[in-house]
Amino acid sequence: MEVGFLGLGIMGKAMASRLLKHGFRVTVWNRTRSKCQELVEQGASIGETPALVVKKCKYTIAMLSDPAAALSVVFEKDGVLEQISEGKGYIDMSTVDAETSSKISEAVLKKGGSFVEAPVSGSKKQAEDGQLIILSAGDKALYEVMVPVFDVLGKKSFFLGEVGKGARLKLVVNMIMGSMMNALSEGLCLADRSGLSLQTLLDVLDLGGCANPMFKLKGPAMIESKYPPAFPLKHQQKDMRLALSLGDEHAVSMPIAAASNEAFKKARSHELGDLDFSAVYEVVKGTASGHAA
Amino acid sequence: MAMAGTSLCHWAPLSLSVFRRRSYLRRRSLLSVSSQLSTDTATIGKDFEGRVGFLGMGIMGSPMALNLIKAGCDVTVWNRTKSKCNHLINLGARFEPTPAQVASSCDVTFAMLADPDSAVAVATGENGAVQGLGSGKGYVDVSTVDGATSKLICESVKKTGASFLEAPVSGSKKPAEDGQLIFLTAGDETLYERVASLLDIMGKSRFYLGDVGNGAAMKLVVNMIMGSMMASFSEGLLLAEKVGLDPNVLVEVVSQGAISSPMYSLKGPAMVKATYPTAFPLKHQQKDLRLALGLAESVSQPIPIAAAANELYKVAKSQGLSDHDFSAVIEALKAKLQN
Repeated sequence: MEVGFLGLGIMGKAMASRLLKHGFRVTVWNRTRSKCQELVEQGASIGETPALVVKKCKYTIAMLSDPAAALSVVFEKDGVLEQISEGKGYIDMSTVDAETSSKISEAVLKKGGSFVEAPVSGSKKQAEDGQLIILSAGDKALYEVMVPVFDVLGKKSFFLGEVGKGARLKLVVNMIMGSMMNALSEGLCLADRSGLSLQTLLDVLDLGGCANPMFKLKGPAMIESKYPPAFPLKHQQKDMRLALSLGDEHAVSMPIAAASNEAFKKARSHELGDLDFSAVYEVVKGTASGHAA
Repeated sequence: MAMAGTSLCHWAPLSLSVFRRRSYLRRRSLLSVSSQLSTDTATIGKDFEGRVGFLGMGIMGSPMALNLIKAGCDVTVWNRTKSKCNHLINLGARFEPTPAQVASSCDVTFAMLADPDSAVAVATGENGAVQGLGSGKGYVDVSTVDGATSKLICESVKKTGASFLEAPVSGSKKPAEDGQLIFLTAGDETLYERVASLLDIMGKSRFYLGDVGNGAAMKLVVNMIMGSMMASFSEGLLLAEKVGLDPNVLVEVVSQGAISSPMYSLKGPAMVKATYPTAFPLKHQQKDLRLALGLAESVSQPIPIAAAANELYKVAKSQGLSDHDFSAVIEALKAKLQN
């Protein structure tokens, strides 16, 4: 099966690579062309523009960093819309707000194409290991066609209904995740200032009802003040902002998420945006100004 | 007063009245042929010899005492409301009418009370445990309290010549029933070694953390994180529902990914149905957050997420949800006007 792949960042690169390793023919595009080279060495073809990728491939996947990038790849000159047509499918796996996703969906459908939004839960390692959780919505028939692709990229895929549902569910999950990271950071700080062993705290957490893979994976690096980017803080803050916005629309009370967002914003103001989102720990510790990326 | 060769705690799950006075299957030999039962303990505790007292037969104390009885220990119980002891007395536990009398008739006395006030009252109040303690005896307080309370009780206990161990637990009703608690101990290390085998009956792992206050602090930090996690999960469930998603799908998606925790998987489905069967009372979670905020203030550590979570639990209490499971905090987020 042949697919186009737009966006070779932390996630896109790992995902495209995985598809190549599993026998898919992949045509890639990235705004910074040099990032395509590694994939070409693994057997990918290059598309010079998003439009040319869509021209060549029946199905094109996109993995961009935020709503602005997702829109630009579709609507701008040499964008997806110039070549999307009847029989072609566009699958946007970026994490965006529901309005952005709907906008893209509408434009694709107007041109006769079919559309699925499929944001993922999971970051770099899960992308590399094909362990993503895929939250798709939109065109059911296109989803069915993509199942073999999703099965390679992830451990489970959900079809949730009409466009917007996948986007919203992803934001809710990431909202919880961002708040949990803040809770862990507060716990580590309090333990530290109380003279307790941080490793012991992590060990105790891992034995009980609160145990979760994220704490287990990131805790040890955090206590060494290391934040190798698996999920950049700036994207986590973007997701919290979008989740809060969603809550605003529906007048839903979210004081924990609001407080968490403040911490992420502060981290960004201290230039920690490109570090892993666990770097919010520096803000909670009060040491953020000494720890720019 | 230990009787040589008798009153040993052992693992044979047999009728107490038949086997209490026999040195049956010694635990050590049983362990030498079976796999290690408590994977996180550095050493296997030496068998406990003597009488064990247990003060406080609530949600936690009752199953903990029951596990000791089932393991063949000589247990004496007390509870402010005597009727709560009856099922244990029926299984062979002794009963004394005051904490002082329990402490004086036992070698080591455990206490599992709901909050700092009751822990202090039971230890040092009228007919309190310290009136029965003395040299050679131990007092193990497994209640969750603040460091200052723990130190106060410790001083009162040590004044009698007895030794003190703070040992709050991580884990609620089911882990207590299943003997799967995590003990976060601090204080007298000799007493810790002495009761290790009892902790191993009631729990799956134990930590010795040094000076009195460290166990209390560790417990408060863990429960602070837990309280914040539950509040955040509640926000997620409510937001999902309000924007037209199926909250059950959110629970499933969460259970598949990086933020999957036993707590979410266990309580999520009930929360979606707005039912909150009590494993850990909401009022105790709020108490723990309040104490954690106090600890944070004492070390000048800002904890805004915990502070926001505490507010939600307070709202839930004002809605009459104190005795529901702490997952009922989700109700505090729902738009409801007070009558």
